[in-house]
Order: sequence, then C-alpha cells, then structure tokens
Amino acid sequence: MDRRKEELEKKRQKLAELRKAREDRRRSQQKSMSTPADETQSNMTMPSMTSSSARNDVDKLVNDLIGGRRSQHSATQSVSSNVSDTDGSDMGSVLSPTQTSTVSVSAEPRTRFIPEFSSVEAVIFDFPPKERVVYSKEAQTTGEFFDRPDPEVLEQEVRTRLAAEREKDRLAKQAAEEEERRRKHAQEAAQIRELSEDEKKNILTSDEFADFVDYSTKVIERALNEKYDFMKDYTVVQDEENDAEASNTVKLACTFHSEKLCQNRSVTDVNWSLKHPELLVSSYNKNPMAINEPDGLVLVWNTHLVERPEFVFHSQADVLTARFSDFHANLVIGSTYSGQILLWDTRAKSLPVLRTPLSAVGHTHPVYAMSMVGTQNAHNLISVSTDGLMCSWQLDMLAQPLETLELTHATHSGTDEVAVTCFGFPGNETTTFWVGTEEGNVYQANRYDRAGSKAGIYQQDAYNAHRGAVTGLHFHPLFGPIDFSDLFITSSVDWTVKLWRAKSAAKPASAPQTIAPIYSFEDAGDYVYDVAWSPSHPAMFASVDGTGHFNLWNLNVDTEVPVVSVAPGSGRALNKVSWEKEGRKAAVGSVDGYVHVYDIGEMSNPRMDEWTQFQKTVSEMMHSKETAEPVPEPRSPATSSSYSMLR
Amino acid sequence: MAASVAATLNRLATRKGVHGVVILNRQGMAIRSTLPADLTRQYAHLLNALVVQARNTVRDLDSDGQNELTFMRIRTKKHEIMVAPNHDYLLIVVQNPQEQFQP
Repeated sequence: MDRRKEELEKKRQKLAELRKAREDRRRSQQKSMSTPADETQSNMTMPSMTSSSARNDVDKLVNDLIGGRRSQHSATQSVSSNVSDTDGSDMGSVLSPTQTSTVSVSAEPRTRFIPEFSSVEAVIFDFPPKERVVYSKEAQTTGEFFDRPDPEVLEQEVRTRLAAEREKDRLAKQAAEEEERRRKHAQEAAQIRELSEDEKKNILTSDEFADFVDYSTKVIERALNEKYDFMKDYTVVQDEENDAEASNTVKLACTFHSEKLCQNRSVTDVNWSLKHPELLVSSYNKNPMAINEPDGLVLVWNTHLVERPEFVFHSQADVLTARFSDFHANLVIGSTYSGQILLWDTRAKSLPVLRTPLSAVGHTHPVYAMSMVGTQNAHNLISVSTDGLMCSWQLDMLAQPLETLELTHATHSGTDEVAVTCFGFPGNETTTFWVGTEEGNVYQANRYDRAGSKAGIYQQDAYNAHRGAVTGLHFHPLFGPIDFSDLFITSSVDWTVKLWRAKSAAKPASAPQTIAPIYSFEDAGDYVYDVAWSPSHPAMFASVDGTGHFNLWNLNVDTEVPVVSVAPGSGRALNKVSWEKEGRKAAVGSVDGYVHVYDIGEMSNPRMDEWTQFQKTVSEMMHSKETAEPVPEPRSPATSSSYSMLR
Repeated sequence: MAASVAATLNRLATRKGVHGVVILNRQGMAIRSTLPADLTRQYAHLLNALVVQARNTVRDLDSDGQNELTFMRIRTKKHEIMVAPNHDYLLIVVQNPQEQFQP
C-alpha cells in the first residue's frame, strides 16, 4: 500500500512536471514566433532534442499507465527489439504497436547491413507435378431406374386398384349378362313351350327327321355297345374273373334277330365281310305269313350293333345265298330261288342296284351256291344252279354271263344235268372245282377245255360220297406252313361229314373210278347242314346240324367226337356256318331266323406243331382206311331223294 | 314312319344304363324327350349352347373351315352324355356307363 501511495505521489509529481513542461513549451513557442530567424535553426536542432526527450517521457508515462507490473518487461522488450534489429532480420517488422514506437525510436542507432554477393552455380530441375487424373464418371440410365422403387410400389397400388375396379365392373357386367341370359333363357324356354304339338307332329313325321333318327341312333347304339370301358381304372381291385374254363369252350358273343323283319323266316346263308371284320351278311327266305313284305331279305349286321341291322336289302324271291364281294367292301351279292343273281350296294337303298335277267341267258333254276374266284384286278362270280348250269359273271355287268357251262353226267338219274347243291374251288384254283349234288355224289369239273379233257364234269371220276344230298362242300383253306388244299370236307343229309382228298386235277381218269373218303365223321344224329374249315387252325372245322348243334371239331384232338358241341337259342336246326376271316368268331344261322355269333377264343389259335400233327393225323386216317373196310355202312340213308333244300 | 321312329327311340331309351333320350331341333327346342320337363329344358339350353360352341370350335380349327362336328361324347364322374348332331337336329343320350358294363 505504501508503495502504491508512493507511486501515486510520483505520478502526481510527474503530472505536475508535465504541466510545467507544456507551459514551458507554449512559452517557448510564443517566443519563437517572435523571433523567426532563430527559430529556423532552433527548429532544426531543437525539435529533435525536445521531441526525443519528450517522447521518452511520454513513453515512460504510457508504460507506467499501462501497468506497473509490465514496466520491467517492456524495458526488456525494448532491449530485445534492439538486439533483433542488430541481427538484421525482417522479423522485427511484426511487432506490437508499443514496439513500433520503440523501433522507430531505435532506428537511428541501427548499423547498416551491407550484403555480400557471390556467384553460385545452381541447377534447376523442373519437376512437373505428379498429374492426378481426375474425371467425372456418369452412367447413362433412365431416371426411372433410380426412381423405380418408389414408383413401382405406386404403380402396383394403382394397378391393384385398377384391377379391383375392373373386377367390379366385370362382375357387374357379368351379373348383367347373367341377368340377360336368364331372361333370354326364360324367353327361350317360353319359345320351347311354344313349340306346339302340331309342329312336333310335323317334325316327327318328316322324312328327314326319320333319317336323322335312324342314323344318329345307330351311332349311339354302336357307342353304347362298346364292350370295352375306356375309362376303366386298373388300379381298382376287380373281382377275379375265372378265365380257366374259357380256354376250352366257345362263348356266345351275340345274337342277331329282328322281330319285325325275321319273323317266320329261316336263315339261308351267313357270310362275314373280309373288309370289315365286324360286319356279316345273312339272307332269309320268305315269310309265308306276310304277303305284303318282300319274299327275299338280306340283312347286314354289325357285331357292335346287335339290336338292328345296319342295312336291309330286299328281293322279290327267296334269297338262298348271300355274300360280301371279296374285293368291294360295299357290295353284297345274293342268289335267289328264281335263279336271279342280285347285287346290292350299301351306299344305295334297299333294292338291288344290279340283277341278272330272268331268262334263258342266265339261271332259271334256284342257285344254291356261289363263289368268287380270281384276284382284285381280275375276278369273276361263279354261280351254279340246280339244273347244272354254271355261269360266271362280271360284277359290274350282270346283264349276261361271261360264260356258261352245262354240268352233265351220263349216269345221273332222270336227266343228264346234275342238280348241284354246293361246290368249291381249292385254294388258288380258278378253273377246276368240285360240285356236290342232290343225289349225294361229288364230281370234279373244269371250266375250260384242257389237253385231253373237255370242259365240264369229269365223267370217269366219281366220289361216291353220300347217301343223301350233299349240303356243304369246303376245301381246306390255304394258309400255314403245310399245304392241305387238296383236302375237302362235305356234309350231307345222311347224317355224316366226310373228309376227302381230291384227286390230282391234272389228268382225269380214263376208266371209271370211285374215290372213297379219307374219313367219315358220324357223330351227328340228324342232317348235317353245313361244314366249314377254320381259317386259322389247320385241324379245325365247324359243322351245324338239324338238332341245332354247333359242333367244333379238332382232328388233332379227336376224330370221333367234336371238341365242342353247343346248341344255341331255341335248339331249332342250324342251317349255315361261317367263319370270320381271322377265325376268332363263327356265325351260325338257324331255321327260326336267328344268327348266333360264337367267340371261339383260345381254341382258334393253333400251336406251331398243329400242322405237322395234322399231317400225321391225315396219314393215319388214310392208313386205317386202306386196312379197314373201304366204304363204311351209312347209319341212316333215310330220305335222300325226297329231301328238299327249302325247308 | 313315325311309328318306327318311336320304336327306335323307345328301344334306345329302355336300354340298360340309359337314363334319358332328348331330341332337339336346330334352335334347341325339344322335340322329344324321355326326361322330366324341367330337366329337359335344362339339357336343351345348356347342351345346345355347348354343341354350338363345339361346332364352331371344330370348324375354326380346320384350316379350310369345312370340318363338321359329327359326334360328341362327354364322360363325367356320374354319367356319360352322348350327342349326335346333324344339320337340323340333335340327339342327346344320357347314360351311366357303370351300369352298362356291369354284367
């Protein structure tokens, strides 16, 4: 405190001194004003003196005023500034304002810095700065790409909204349509109700409606008759069917009969189509009870349509035989009791499209047998009537026969002409044929003159066959590894079926010669009406008889009795038998107008050794025939001459 | 003529497995039916529409546009519908195949 007081005192003194000094200065100025001459000199010297002393005083004062504490420090600073000045560094230029004053004050005593120059060799390297490659890179994209996430969501939303709206619209529309449809339906229903009874009657009685019903129901019935269920599910457990007994029996597949058409008629012939294995044709004689109906009738049946025939053909006389043309699927040929040959076309109506004339040019007697010979390009129809006239025809020209031949035999009873009831050509043979006659003989005949023999029946050769009319004659068909085409079988009203070996066709005998059968099958207890070899099994043939039995013989198994004997239907006599071309089915026609179709099944499939075995069987038969009595006694020769073919 | 038509249809209708026979004309009006009236109406509308559609489909599928529907068979779980159309009429038969194939 005392120091402070002292200091204050000192300051007061100084102030006083200052005031005094200012007073002095003013006085001296006034003085100098009065003496300008002196003043210039004094100005030259005095200001420097006075200003320097005055400034020192001011500096001291200011330093004191700013802070007593810093007074020492400022003093040292001023010293240091002086020192730095002597160093000649330029750093001194950056100084506090207080120092500037000191510098400016101390500038006077600074020694001048004299630079010393020297030459220096310098090499200047110019390094280019390391280049930094900088470029701006941009990818060209659409703005949407980057903007996508958001708009997509938006779009989705919009879409769903739109879809919802559309759906709503659609529903509304649908509802409207539904309404419309319902209304329409209601209208239609009203319309349908409007179809009056009269209109219905008109439609029902129109011809085109009848045609439509006829055709469409046929199609539907065929579809309904499909035995195979194509939707069958084999994963479902079925009841085991017992097939064991099926191996050795025949099954009745279907029966064709039309109550309206076939009443009081007998089946006179059955024949399968070669082209369509499901079709068969059957011919009928007249219905004595119905005078207005046509006498003759030919029906084409389909195994897939059992209720009614596919086609109905009419004739003015009883039809005795009917067959499909072997080479035209559409043509059906029939022969009649009046001697006419008729040709029907399935594309035409029920009346024949072609017929032979009822004159001496053609047949004038009943034609019981017809056959087609030849090939696709050159074929003829051969027919033989009971007056012994053989005619050959071209199917598209029935106006007159291509050739005629009288079949005569000198030893024939009554007339020379033989009454032919049946005939047959061996396989591949078109000129030589064998005829069965009403009195029981079988003759060989030739269509043309040959070296050493005339056309007609070979007079010397006689197959002293049966004690009654020959009803059927059939040559062994040509198939399989061994040729049995020289074998033929005949059936007769003498209750027998006989197996023959045809004499060589080449040279007729010069002396009368009687040929004996290889074997006689005498199992039947009535007339045997027809016989036919199986087209697939070499040792198998079928026969039908007056007791209504359908007999199936397998000569490899048994020669005494048939392997199968069944009596279909009412048990009335069976007239005809015919094999389907594959041999899997056989059709039989009955006198009461039914056609029964049998499924032969497994038996129709021959084993590979059946042919050789049959050869053995035949040779055994021939051997036993030679050792045994040549002509076996017929069991019942009863009614050979009084037999009439038309029952 | 009408008698034979009736006989044929009767035979068809009385077959085993056959439920009904309906005949329509070109406009889908029932001419004959063995089904009850309401069912007949239903069959007539719906099947006629279907047949028209099928006819068009068959025709359009053909390159010449000359093809024609001749028979249509619809197998369902419950039964089978068979349709035999011609230019003027339509025969519909409804059957149950299971019944038919039962021995």
